[in-house]
Amino acid sequence: MSRNEIRIAGAGGQGVVTAGRILAEAAILSGNDATHSQVYGPQSRGGASRSDVVIASGEIGFPLADDIDLLIVLSGEAYSRYEPELSSEGRLVVDSRCAPSDLNGDARQFAVVDTARAISGSQLVTGVVALGVLQALEDVVEADALREAVSARVPRKHREMNLEALQAGMELVGGGGA
Amino acid sequence: MSQAQLIQGNEACVKGALAAGCRFYGGYPITPSSEIAEQMVRLLPDLGGVFIQMEDEIASLASVIGASLAGSKAMTATSGPGFSLMQEHIGYAAMTEVPCVVVNVMRGGPSTGLPTSPSQGDVMQARWGTHGDHPAIVLAPSSVAEVFDVTVKAFNLAERFRTPVIILYDEIIGHTRESVVLPDSIEVVDRVQPTDAPADFWPMIAPDDGVPPLPAFGDGYRFHVTGLAHDERGFPTNDAQVAEALVARLHNKIDAHLDEVIEVDTYMVDDAEIAVFAYGIVGRSAREAVMRARDNGIKAGLIRPVTLWPFPYEQVAEVAAQVDTILVAEMNLGQIIGEVERAAAGKAEIKGYLRADGEPITPTALLEAITPDKEGQR
Repeated sequence: MSRNEIRIAGAGGQGVVTAGRILAEAAILSGNDATHSQVYGPQSRGGASRSDVVIASGEIGFPLADDIDLLIVLSGEAYSRYEPELSSEGRLVVDSRCAPSDLNGDARQFAVVDTARAISGSQLVTGVVALGVLQALEDVVEADALREAVSARVPRKHREMNLEALQAGMELVGGGGA
Repeated sequence: MSQAQLIQGNEACVKGALAAGCRFYGGYPITPSSEIAEQMVRLLPDLGGVFIQMEDEIASLASVIGASLAGSKAMTATSGPGFSLMQEHIGYAAMTEVPCVVVNVMRGGPSTGLPTSPSQGDVMQARWGTHGDHPAIVLAPSSVAEVFDVTVKAFNLAERFRTPVIILYDEIIGHTRESVVLPDSIEVVDRVQPTDAPADFWPMIAPDDGVPPLPAFGDGYRFHVTGLAHDERGFPTNDAQVAEALVARLHNKIDAHLDEVIEVDTYMVDDAEIAVFAYGIVGRSAREAVMRARDNGIKAGLIRPVTLWPFPYEQVAEVAAQVDTILVAEMNLGQIIGEVERAAAGKAEIKGYLRADGEPITPTALLEAITPDKEGQR
């Protein structure tokens, strides 16, 4: 793996920034170099939120995403904003709720938000479900490292719920996404 | 060596400050610098330090100056709007020779501008924002690891030269998390203490290197601090010769030791036809662009000043004599480019890649700018 750029884009409150941070920490635990950057608006809730993770086997020069390899979108606003920026080689994963009817044939869609709601009763673990999907699809970090990073990053009382969310994300792919 | 950890630039700043001996933080939180205050309030009390949230940024730097005079290593952190308010006391600290560190995590301006977006719009303000002929040391790290190193260096230079030191980085460096292995030990410099008995001591008598010793207020030494021009006893004066000698000394104590202050990173400039001049996060884009250009057979290089002020005129002049073109890339409408032109003095063509919309300058964009078109033009 030379350089892998992953963007998780969604809405404030979906845990997008935490998910990106977990992924970068898992990459470091897996023996790679990683960076994490975030873009957010001045408001504390709602609005667009985005997390970029760069993972490389060697030292990372430019720490920001410059040419996204994989884009995961978790809200309609994020889809309209970031899908057009994806290059033709970039891979796309979309939450089923915000997938348009004319979704690109190579894109994959999964019920990420609905799965998160079923587990937590809110959207809070959406980002972690997305990490499960990502892991099952791309195997970018070691699965054990990802579990370890989730456990270390989330509050203790929500640990089990987040590990469940991660597992559910992996199983969404196992069940064969639409 | 310690373990690799994923930390933000703002966290690295706190770790560097504490390692360098900072034990006082007075500030007023503002995006994108707030994580510095947030970490300081958590960590300082256990180290026997003090954190105060002041009523505004004017008072913040005032509290830092007071703490420093009482013998503590002290800092504050802010962003553009707060940095504007701090200008008065930056000048006061320069004139009264109080060691302190001011961090400005730059965001889009003018005014409250773009609170969560990066910029490099405060480069000239960091040099000339406060009035009068004052010296300025301004450092601009370009990675999370370098934020740690530069923060340590800022405290050491502040103590060494009894002067305010400004650390300038942008929102991207402040908020990006990178994998960092922190050093196990660092060099720490402390302000020079008087060797005279208290009865023989006058506060502003400087030895040959131009830096007077600074006892802590309450140590029993004579103490007089004023922003007015003052004599060697520290008392105000209107004497032209005394005033001139003071202002000259304030500059000379730093100018005579530029080798301790100026740090410039160069990369592949030896045979370069075009050099990119970039600092902060743009230095990272530029390095990547230079590497890609070399892969394409273009002789490109990089000059990346870590020290923005005093400006590295000599180092830039050397590169200008070697290359045809220097491309200055900065996230503003053209600030440091004027200094590059002064340094190059016509020896190289100076071009700008300037952007002030709150978006970063990417390696792809810079690669395009340094790649000649079919006619060989850039």
